[in-house]
Amino acid sequence: MAKVHNWQIGREMDYPYEGRRPEKQFAMIFDTNKCIACQTCTVACKTTWTTGRGQEYMYWNNVETKPYGYYPLGWDVTILDKLGVQEMDGPVYRGKTLFDAAPTGEILLGYLPEDIDYAHPNIGEDDSTGLMPQGAHLTLPHLQWMFYLPRICNHCTYPACLSACPRQSIYKRPEDGIVLLDQSRCRGYRECVRGCPYKKVYFNAQTRVSEKCIGCYPAVEGGRQTQCTITCIGKIRIQGFLNAPDKVDEDNPLDYLVHVKKIARPLYPQFGLEPNTYYIPPIHVPAAYLRQMFGWGVEQATDMYRQVAMDRKLLGALTLFGATPEIAQHFRVDGDSVVGYDAKQSEIARVPLKEPVVIREVYDPKHRAFRTNIT
Amino acid sequence: MRARLSAAVLSALVLWGGGAEAQAPLTAVRVPGAGPITDLAAPAWKQARPVKVAMLPQTVTSPQKPDSAIKELSVRAAHNGGWIAFLIEWRDPTLSNRIVLDNFGDQVAVQLPLDPRGAVPSPMMGNAGGRVNIMQWRAAFQRDLDVGPPTVQDLYPNAWADFYPDEVLGAADARPYTGALGLENPISRGVATPVLDQMAEGWGSMTVKPDQHALGRGVWREGVWRVVITRPMVSDDVNAPRLVPGDRTVAGFAVWEGGNREVGSRKAWAPWLPLAIAR
Repeated sequence: MAKVHNWQIGREMDYPYEGRRPEKQFAMIFDTNKCIACQTCTVACKTTWTTGRGQEYMYWNNVETKPYGYYPLGWDVTILDKLGVQEMDGPVYRGKTLFDAAPTGEILLGYLPEDIDYAHPNIGEDDSTGLMPQGAHLTLPHLQWMFYLPRICNHCTYPACLSACPRQSIYKRPEDGIVLLDQSRCRGYRECVRGCPYKKVYFNAQTRVSEKCIGCYPAVEGGRQTQCTITCIGKIRIQGFLNAPDKVDEDNPLDYLVHVKKIARPLYPQFGLEPNTYYIPPIHVPAAYLRQMFGWGVEQATDMYRQVAMDRKLLGALTLFGATPEIAQHFRVDGDSVVGYDAKQSEIARVPLKEPVVIREVYDPKHRAFRTNIT
Repeated sequence: MRARLSAAVLSALVLWGGGAEAQAPLTAVRVPGAGPITDLAAPAWKQARPVKVAMLPQTVTSPQKPDSAIKELSVRAAHNGGWIAFLIEWRDPTLSNRIVLDNFGDQVAVQLPLDPRGAVPSPMMGNAGGRVNIMQWRAAFQRDLDVGPPTVQDLYPNAWADFYPDEVLGAADARPYTGALGLENPISRGVATPVLDQMAEGWGSMTVKPDQHALGRGVWREGVWRVVITRPMVSDDVNAPRLVPGDRTVAGFAVWEGGNREVGSRKAWAPWLPLAIAR
């Protein structure tokens, strides 16, 4: 095993291959506070990429309700249970990663789900943590809670799927860090399905090989964000490129949110894969649960989110979500607007930080019509 | 990584040395006839003495299978001057030829060094510069050929979809939705033979050859697999051994019990055993 640096857990760790970061890293940020689980992203991905035979229950993008929704069934609680209780008491994670916890004869700790675990993609939808008793009313914190967790492949810096494949059928592109599975080279061993703790590699029983999210690379190569991002009606996502923490560009919206403000957190960083999808955690969920899911420092992220109206640059970065189908590589706040720029510094989006309020007269004499104001 | 591989290769060679001494030699008897030997019931097999091949759990490279299910193969070999064949039999109470996520297929493979008269390569799929020819029979391919490739409904009887791209698009436009099948990945289907003719130079290097010469047939009955794998003794394939009567070389074997979730390196294997090709 080589020693690699994983900034998300603040330490070096073992990985089967030497660490070599791509020129730039495909990354995505989700604002979980805005997701309504409408599944438009899921449908956009499905209709674009996985409508073939053998892909019926294959969702490269899915949205599940937490804490009781899973796709496939129990994916996170199963691997958390296998990993066991670990120490997480500071920015440096002292517990075991999945590579540290590899059983004898295995490359990492993993498990192969049952086929039936994929049979109910939206199981647990809208289930909250408990029943609302008679007479319950809104309190803070909420009596019960749930939230929606949209997921794609994390295009990890240290992918478990890649490390688990005995024949190097999975590779990470040096130009953008997208992790791809070679459909010509794969022999269907399913070691990647077993190894990926996020269960974002799927087995196609018709082709007898595995498949996974391709990060919409044809779009990304052309400077456009992924299908799941540009179709999101809640504007909860932004997709772009993330720099390593020693090369932070404050004007890159992803660098700003992940590295500078630290408001967007990785999913289960303790697994040790340095996943590259990041979540602005839900502000109404107990900190202990969030800490397990998004790592150390999550309380600062939720505190910051509550104060976002006071921070114009932060508000600007968040306002870029869903503002353009193109990839914003730079941004700046210009007066009362935030402006997004592509790689050549050409303006691709300009959005007001505060949505203008227009109040129409109730009665329109020209058309002799009564109108209701909407926002 | 390199240190791990070196230690593993060393272990493999140690195992190989010990195993070769203990293993009875295999003789490919000369039988009459010409052409591929794929008949499981051919009288020729009565002339060939079966050799019991002890199968070891693969515990040299990760991922491993310390609890592999098949402990022994019975192997016979024969040739007719043009084709050499191996009849491999083993007990397997579960027929595994339906491939879904958590179902794996029964398989068996014969391995021959590319150069029968040169230095013997590593028994574990060869080594850099020590290329081997691996002929792998697959139960799922046998089923593809016997009853046709499985449809979605064969695998999942209650499956239903509005429509598939190949029902509304032309073949060229629908191809991107067919994944590995559209790329003609040889693992996806048994097309003309249930045996994959492959070459390797060590772990992770298994490559299906562009020229497919190996043939075979397998039948599972009453908890026993009987599989024959045959190939031309001489061909124009530079990645195949040239075998002539009188040669003394080695052969290796591997077997996968699909019902025990054996796949890839999670298998049982046997070190080289001496192979004599009768004059």
